[in-house]
Amino acid sequence: MEKINTENLDPNFKYDVSAYPGGENIKLCYSCGTCTAGCPVSAVDADFNPRKIIRQVILGMRKEVLSSPVIWRCVQCYSCTAKCPQNVKFRDIMRALREMAAAEGYVDKQMLEEVKKLDEFTQKIRRDMVNLLVKDKAEFNTVKTKIEKSISK
Amino acid sequence: MIKPAQQSNKVGAVLVIGGGVAGIQASLDLADSGQKVYLLEKSPAIGGYMARLDKTFPTNDCSMCILSPKIVECGRHLNIDTLTWSELQDVSGEAGNFKVKVRRKARYVDLEKCTGCGDCAKVCPVSFPDEFDAELGNRKAVFRPYPQAFPNAFVIDKRGKAPCRIGCPAGININAYVALTAAGKFDEALDVILETVPLPAVLGRVCDHPCEIECHLGSSHEPVAICALKRFLADYRREKGTYKAAPKVEQNLAKVAIIGSGPAGLAAARELARKGYKPEIFESRDKAGGMLRWGIPDYRLPPDVLDADIQDVLDEGVKLHLNKKLGKDFTLAELKKQGFEAVVLAVGAQLGSKFPVEGYDLDGFVDCIDFLNQANINPKTKVGEKVTVIGGGNSAVDAARVALRLGAKEVTIVYRRTRAEMPAIEEEIHAVEKEGINIIYLTAPSRLIAEGDRVRAMECVRMKLGEPDESGRRRPVKVAGSEFIIETDMVISAIGQKVDLSGDDEDSKKLSVTKWGTIDADSENASTNLDGVFAAGDAATGPASVIKAIAQGRKAANAVDCYLRKVPFTPEPQVKPEDITDNPPAVEESDIKVPRCKPEEIPLEKRIVNFDEVEKTFTEEQAIAEANRCLRCAVCSECMACVTACKAEAICHDAEDEIEEIHVGSIVAVPGFEEYLSKLKYDYGYSRYPDVVSSVQFERILSASGPFAGHVQRPSDGVVPKKIAFLQCVGSRDMSCRNDYCSSVCCMYAIKEAVIAKEHLKGVDVTIFFMDMRAFGKDFDKYYERAKSEYGVKFVRARVSDVFKNNGDSRLTVQYSSESGCVENDDFDMVVLSVGLESSAELRELGKKLKIRVEPNGFFYSRPDEPLCSSREGIFLAGAACGPKDIPETVIQASGAAGKAAGFLSQARNTLTVERQYPQQKDVRGQTPRIGVFVCHCGINIGGIVDVPSVTEYAKSLPFVVYAEENLYTCSQDTQEHIKEMIVEHNLNRVVVASCSPRTHEPLFQETLREAGLNPHLFEMTNIRDQCSWVHMDNPEMATEKSKDLLRMIIAKSAYVEPLTASLVDVTHSALVVGGGLAGMTAAMAIAEQGFEVTLIEKQKQLGGNLNNLKYTFEQNDIGKYLNELRQKIQNNEKITVRTQTQLESIEGFVGNFISSLKNSSESITYEHGAVVVATGGSEYKPTEYLYGQREDVITQLELEQLLSEQKLTDDIKSIVMIQCVGSREQGHMYCSRVCCNTAVKNALKIKELSPKTEIYILYRDMRTYGFSEQYFQQARDKGVIFIRYDIDSKPQISDKKGLKVAIYEPIIGEQIQLKADLLVLSSRIEPCEDNDNLAQLLKVPTNEDGFFLEAHVKLRPVEFATEGIFVAGLAHCPKNISETIAQAQAAAAKACVILSKEKYEAEARVSHVDISRCSACGTCTGVCAYKAIEIVIVDQRRDLLAAQVNPALCKGCGACAAACRSGAIDIKGITDHQINQMIKAL
Repeated sequence: MEKINTENLDPNFKYDVSAYPGGENIKLCYSCGTCTAGCPVSAVDADFNPRKIIRQVILGMRKEVLSSPVIWRCVQCYSCTAKCPQNVKFRDIMRALREMAAAEGYVDKQMLEEVKKLDEFTQKIRRDMVNLLVKDKAEFNTVKTKIEKSISK
Repeated sequence: MIKPAQQSNKVGAVLVIGGGVAGIQASLDLADSGQKVYLLEKSPAIGGYMARLDKTFPTNDCSMCILSPKIVECGRHLNIDTLTWSELQDVSGEAGNFKVKVRRKARYVDLEKCTGCGDCAKVCPVSFPDEFDAELGNRKAVFRPYPQAFPNAFVIDKRGKAPCRIGCPAGININAYVALTAAGKFDEALDVILETVPLPAVLGRVCDHPCEIECHLGSSHEPVAICALKRFLADYRREKGTYKAAPKVEQNLAKVAIIGSGPAGLAAARELARKGYKPEIFESRDKAGGMLRWGIPDYRLPPDVLDADIQDVLDEGVKLHLNKKLGKDFTLAELKKQGFEAVVLAVGAQLGSKFPVEGYDLDGFVDCIDFLNQANINPKTKVGEKVTVIGGGNSAVDAARVALRLGAKEVTIVYRRTRAEMPAIEEEIHAVEKEGINIIYLTAPSRLIAEGDRVRAMECVRMKLGEPDESGRRRPVKVAGSEFIIETDMVISAIGQKVDLSGDDEDSKKLSVTKWGTIDADSENASTNLDGVFAAGDAATGPASVIKAIAQGRKAANAVDCYLRKVPFTPEPQVKPEDITDNPPAVEESDIKVPRCKPEEIPLEKRIVNFDEVEKTFTEEQAIAEANRCLRCAVCSECMACVTACKAEAICHDAEDEIEEIHVGSIVAVPGFEEYLSKLKYDYGYSRYPDVVSSVQFERILSASGPFAGHVQRPSDGVVPKKIAFLQCVGSRDMSCRNDYCSSVCCMYAIKEAVIAKEHLKGVDVTIFFMDMRAFGKDFDKYYERAKSEYGVKFVRARVSDVFKNNGDSRLTVQYSSESGCVENDDFDMVVLSVGLESSAELRELGKKLKIRVEPNGFFYSRPDEPLCSSREGIFLAGAACGPKDIPETVIQASGAAGKAAGFLSQARNTLTVERQYPQQKDVRGQTPRIGVFVCHCGINIGGIVDVPSVTEYAKSLPFVVYAEENLYTCSQDTQEHIKEMIVEHNLNRVVVASCSPRTHEPLFQETLREAGLNPHLFEMTNIRDQCSWVHMDNPEMATEKSKDLLRMIIAKSAYVEPLTASLVDVTHSALVVGGGLAGMTAAMAIAEQGFEVTLIEKQKQLGGNLNNLKYTFEQNDIGKYLNELRQKIQNNEKITVRTQTQLESIEGFVGNFISSLKNSSESITYEHGAVVVATGGSEYKPTEYLYGQREDVITQLELEQLLSEQKLTDDIKSIVMIQCVGSREQGHMYCSRVCCNTAVKNALKIKELSPKTEIYILYRDMRTYGFSEQYFQQARDKGVIFIRYDIDSKPQISDKKGLKVAIYEPIIGEQIQLKADLLVLSSRIEPCEDNDNLAQLLKVPTNEDGFFLEAHVKLRPVEFATEGIFVAGLAHCPKNISETIAQAQAAAAKACVILSKEKYEAEARVSHVDISRCSACGTCTGVCAYKAIEIVIVDQRRDLLAAQVNPALCKGCGACAAACRSGAIDIKGITDHQINQMIKAL
């Protein structure tokens, strides 16, 4: 296995993140994993692991983190922040990482805006689906299957 | 005894605050070293948290078994005053002379009289959650926290009065009868009611129950159905036919006339009868009952119920004259002539008043009183088809419901305010609505419309609510032009009643009357303007409720009594608002879930056509269930059942708190901790799911004395769990609950509880979810490893995010994330939350009172260099109050703090202590045994089952018994005096008591013998309570027979017992301290401070040991400076002789009398001393791994510390790697070196301080920054130190091609990481001193498998050896940090001083004895003796005869040698083979 070599990493990454508002406690993380355990995204997505992302930041894996698609998967629900015993505000860290990714050119500058729109869009879908579920379960199931099919394509 | 110094301005007494294990230990050490002790404990008994634990780690000793002897010793100590159930009020004065005010809370049980028999608790009806069992079970209001408690006495938990009691105008003790009902004691419950009021069946039906308004449960939910319970009790007794009127008091006091037989009259009459008067009631009508009969419809109060209740009153000695109307048939003057000495007017308010409205005189407009009266006389009274009732009171409602029953087609109530203001009681309004009666609110009649002479309709006007009137209710105001018509052919006016004083009686006319037409009677003493005439009930107050009338009647009776006895009127004591408890129990969710019981009602269609009673009474089950809804606001209900039950007359309900002032020279504060309140951790489901329990609760579940008697089961359904999860760090290491520290003990207690659970339940699956396993103490890692490998406890490294229940499933789901990042859900039957240790508001308050510094986290501040000193002179600290710690450390600190206090007061030693003086012991040797036997009833504990008189008679028939008697309580104080008298009178030379456990009571009786001039060992005891009456309570005959058997056996033994005398040995008042490191120096200083000579030997050239290599601590203290000062102090102390480059060559003797040979390079000197402290230290292991010794850039932490202190870390060092657990926690060295995690963090922080840019990687297995060090671990992370965890099977790999590199697997990223190491620092283990084995042999003390010295008991004797007089401290005992070493050294010194402070050392009396004629000198005994008290010596020089010889000063009488001796040459005095054989023969 290829070793991660700390000499190739950026020890300042953790300081940069902690300079962002809400990022200040990142270094306090003692890797207990409560954030991941309570995360609704992690529950359906094994690749989304808040604890690991924090770890990568602390170790200085700037490129890996900022270029990774996973940092865009957070739904900003604050579960992690609410449960963290060390007051690490992972939701805010997520936002910091996204801003850094955009600022440092790892993603398109429009990405932040796009994801914001996407979140609104998924919220709308959720709202409509919930309404449908209350009103007409059969129709709900039909639509759900359709959506699933079109996404899995 | 060491004599006190002549001049001392210090008080030779110490206040110890907190009766946990620390307080007990400190008290014992202080009292044993010549200080008077006051031990203050807020709870009813000493014992603290340790008493609640099941087992202790790592030895799995039973916690209670090891603590209980200490409790007994402390409780019985002559120089320890145990002040339980007491609080510190105030401290004034100064160090050396504190004045302390202590509040001794009323216990309501006399400590002198209570024998702890428990008869009171048996009859107490109040069950309350048991704090001792962490509320898993219940205790009674009168209780003893646990069976082994000291003092062995009960206490009543009384918290003021229950709110319901203020609600009752008559002052019925409501919570008492509710509690008795809940306990199924219905007759006793009714007695409580009848004690205050008559007519319970009536009240249970018609009372407007103001008590229920006050009910605390009602503040957030439906109140307890108090009234319905009263009815149940009355009906129950009537139905079962067990009603007994109170015995008539035949006092033949004066005749009293009562005018009127309504509730007030009946109550007054009965009360007077009970006081011994001869009351006679004069009733104007043909039946008694007044408004109860004529004003209340039968469906609410059936006439037969009323009749029966009235008959009960008459049966108490009340005469009734019917058809006698005042002013018509007799006058007041005539009554006087007939010999009535007082009169109570209770004529009621019988006149109805019609609403003043146009059409007043029309037919069909009637007054409510007349209407109800008529209906009561004639149940076929005619009514209109459409009936309208004016008014909103109970009478209006009654009239409406009666009209309906008399055949009205439509009934309407017109009321001028809204439903909220309606005076009728809620149940009645509800019934009206249910029965289809229409209520028109905010409406008043304006005129009646006639058809001929009859009413045809009523015009009404709408009202609105305006400003409040004088009654506080908003005044209704007419809405102009809102008139409307109601068709009606009968209008009933129910707007009030008036007093009828129309009689033609001269005296009556002289009665002063109020403007409302009521009799003008004094509201306090019921007197009127006529001498000897009193007034009560509605006649005096105007129309009011039944219960108020009864209250009035009682009050008038009391006034009459005072009047006739010619004493000033004194009102009966009443519950006042300020008496109400300000601390009622919180209403829990579970309380609210149980709905109020509704009595069964007859169906609607059946009820409105007749006058049958609508509501049925509760069933027994309903009554018990309803009474159990009561929250027990005041806990004790004052039902007084205990007073009757207590044969020792120890209960005193009117006791009061007392303030006591005591003078002490010093204070030792050991108030302990609180456990974290699990409920605050909402995500973990505590208090939402009953099967999520705290670790304290689980401890009680495991305990044989716990709520489930040691059967591990789920609290929710009693099912045995198959799978249990432990969640670590609940309330610890968690900034969200503000506890940022580690609680230090949870990892170990969780492992212990897991292991014990495994032992209890074969095959149970136990998982512990943790972050870092902090098994840092001595032998803890071995325990952890055993839990994994031997017991199969699973350990999952994860912090749980949630505990929840899937719908419908009884199991609990635990959600966590594995290190690889998967979210896992695992189901368990039970979840245990390992709760952390906290400070409390109480602790802060105590700190304030003591004026000592309290840390922001609420724990007491203690100095790092003086860990047992508070910020204030003369006040010392120990235990968990200054930071979480386990039992041994608590005990160490307690002894140390006791030593500090004793040192501070050394000049005042023995100034306030007392020694008991006994008469000269009679020599009974050779005398024929004359045995006295005392058999105990123990209240009814023994006597209720065992036939004590027959056992006593039987005893008289046994050989050598010259006297036998039975006692209610053999242990009571007066019986002790009596026993002494009997010893003299009958010239007894042996005494036998047959009662309870010798463990608790033998010392007491032995004391009695000594006071009577007999040797205490002439006493024998047998336990016929635990072994007979308790275990055979179903078979009294067998229990009696067995009691006789046991008694016969013990009497057989008694005849052969001989007086025994403990050997007294002289004490040399000096000590030897071996080892001149921190521990040795501290111990030497502490002993010298207590005023004793010390010789301190050190093998090196100079004092200091490892301290020479340490440079700074977390707190940045300068260790070098500290060391120099300490050295200086030692050199300057004239009591201390320092011998460097000196070693112990040999040591002879025993406790108090050691002779050592101390050798240096040139000479050997002999030194005599009374005690030894072993403080030989340890050292840092020089590693062989990780290229240590091969490369200069691989160093140890100590070497790093040296570099850092010299600021020699060069700038080219950019990346530093530290590896933890080098040589620790692995095969061959399975122990944690405890200090390395903190040292690494300390040094990392130092590096970051010197050069913030340097990258530091700490590679660890578990970060063991326990206690408050957790904050430095956090600080290090914050400064950018990177911590990477590794497993023992994937240790870091080193390569040194092209510079030093360390490769390590990062478990969260899941990849190998390569770290550049410009400097590699190894945290290598602490090793025991290499001389330990040699020293252990010299001293005959053991070491453990790692080579550290092994103390006598890891929990409770942490600085002692089994061999008396030898103590251990510091690294010689096990790895520990500076503060811990100082504390332990002070503890060892304190223990040594306990011995040194005695003039003579008193050994055991029951020691082993060798018959040298049978001894073969095989030496087996010497091997088994843990105390090194027996050796093979030449006993006869001439014959060169070898035999075993016992040193009675060292022998503890354990009996191991006697059991091991193959020749049967060894006996234990007092329990010889011969004596035991006699017992067996007797059986």
